Amino acid sequence: MSFCAYAKDKSKLIQFSKAEILSDHTTRIPFKLIDNLIVIQAELLDQKGNFIIDTGSETLILNKAHFKARTTHMMTSRRTSGVIDIVDNPLEKRLQEFIIKDLIVSDKNSDVIDLSHIETSKKIHLLGIIGFDILKDYEVFIDMYLNQITLSRVDSKGKRLDPREYLETIIDTINFKLKRHTIVVDTYVNNQKLKFGLDTGAEYNQLNKRTSKKNLKYFYPSKRVMLVGASGKKIEVLAGKLYRVKLSDKIFFAPMETMLTNLNQMNEAFGTSLDGILGYEFFRQQRIIINYQKEKLYFVKFPIRKQ
Amino acid sequence: MKTITRHIIILLFAVAAWHSYAQNDEKGYRFDGNYVVFTFNKYDYEKFTVDDSTKKIKFEDLNIDNVVVAGEFNNWSKYDWKMTRVNETTYELRKHITDFKDEFSWEFKFYINDKYWAEPSEFDSNVALAMKKGTNLNVYNLRMSTKAAITDENGNVSFRLRGFEDAKNVIVAGSFNRWDEHDFKMYKIINGWELKLDMKPGEYEYKFIVDGNWMEDPSNPSKVENEFGQYNSLINVGKYVTFLLKGYNDAERVILAGSFNDWNDDDIEMERVDNDYWSLRLPLPAGKHYYKFIIDGKWILDPENPIREYDGEGNINSVFMVK
Repeated sequence: MSFCAYAKDKSKLIQFSKAEILSDHTTRIPFKLIDNLIVIQAELLDQKGNFIIDTGSETLILNKAHFKARTTHMMTSRRTSGVIDIVDNPLEKRLQEFIIKDLIVSDKNSDVIDLSHIETSKKIHLLGIIGFDILKDYEVFIDMYLNQITLSRVDSKGKRLDPREYLETIIDTINFKLKRHTIVVDTYVNNQKLKFGLDTGAEYNQLNKRTSKKNLKYFYPSKRVMLVGASGKKIEVLAGKLYRVKLSDKIFFAPMETMLTNLNQMNEAFGTSLDGILGYEFFRQQRIIINYQKEKLYFVKFPIRKQ
Repeated sequence: MKTITRHIIILLFAVAAWHSYAQNDEKGYRFDGNYVVFTFNKYDYEKFTVDDSTKKIKFEDLNIDNVVVAGEFNNWSKYDWKMTRVNETTYELRKHITDFKDEFSWEFKFYINDKYWAEPSEFDSNVALAMKKGTNLNVYNLRMSTKAAITDENGNVSFRLRGFEDAKNVIVAGSFNRWDEHDFKMYKIINGWELKLDMKPGEYEYKFIVDGNWMEDPSNPSKVENEFGQYNSLINVGKYVTFLLKGYNDAERVILAGSFNDWNDDDIEMERVDNDYWSLRLPLPAGKHYYKFIIDGKWILDPENPIREYDGEGNINSVFMVK
């Protein structure tokens, strides 16, 4: 529990109490899966709690339930002294600056929003959501085998500042297109090319109801379920399994739990037209490194261990 | 033996995953590997109600033509999940666990001959009052749990609370069951309360609820601050892990050293076993562990484990994950 040492200044920083700092540019943070959400522990403004890692979110969102009218406090506490360990940590520094910069315009961007419905349904103390605006400056390794996320700083061309190579074996590389903040990958459902968005914050995969009938052929519905949206509104959708999904000849997937939803509204928000969203079920089956600047996904070998 | 009772949460070890949950005596379902098997036996139920009415009837003489499982998992469909006939009175249906993973607990009931609901009794262990739009329907539903923990006499974790002998109701609730305040009722033992659970490896926070009052485990020194400025007790459920190293037949001595024993280069000696392996089985807590083998004084990475990581000093170690 490293945070005790900085107790004096903890109110002014965002801290990941469990992060391992590997070098000046690389930090490793263990996560927990709360249901299907990737959740990391953090401390901010004297509060301990959790952040959700969400590639589907454009910005850093703070939970209004815990950060009401704290803006001025944040601004005046911009610099701290004697907390070398923390300021040296690029992620924390970055977050700190980001928060300060962004809270000034928070009303415009609605980056402080009420997330209490997520707290209630997941029974977690949620401080906020970490999204694209922060993640884009790093190569992001989401490792569902070791339950950790590794953030490695990149330059504007996407080159990692950390000179060390990965120890992991990369088995395939896939290009994606960044549409605003959304990672869009060409996905093949039985060799039919579709456009899917990658979203770590999607607890379930989604297939657009309005996609062509041909694509629905490999969706086998099994039940109706209630979905609670980000607004807290409930809708009933058809859930089932999507078969024959692959990204390349090397990267293919076991049948994935998928919901049939109407993505048209979301497509407007994403600024692009999507046939579906790949969420938790997708990440669960892979170890993935995302490089936003290079618009590339790297797939890391999953170990097969005898015990 | 104060020192022993101090650590009331005993760290025992479970083989992960569902097959350890094969035994439960809850009505209406059981686990079998990665499957949930719904079982309906006519003689498990005394009363049946006609759909859309609360009138209760007996139907010992009724022949069963078909049975359907209806519940929250299939939006109470009376048609979708048809059961298979095993014999005259018994019907079964197997469903893969992935059909249930979006919630921790589910209410369900059996629907017979497209007409009757089988009514569980209030004495069944896994029932919940049936509600419709917030109104009590005066009947019970069965409840199925797919949590990270289930009650099991032979479970790998024992929760014990000393004293509170005059208490009426003691519950243990934690992150393993989304802090459900009703699920895990403890039973009275001499000098206190106890409950045995079978839990998946992992780190969990928990508290006791004694007659409605939340309290941390007084005998567990390990705890974390929660969002209310109080403390939750902390438990790490681990499991047994076997380390294997192939070859090195001429080696005199092979040592396993890792983060779990502070990299002691003498402590854990591996044994030579049949078919060309050095082997060692030991219990490890949930989480990430770093290790290396030392062969006659020479440190090596596990050649068969592709998972390796840098530490803060730039050294490379093999990694093993207990989860």
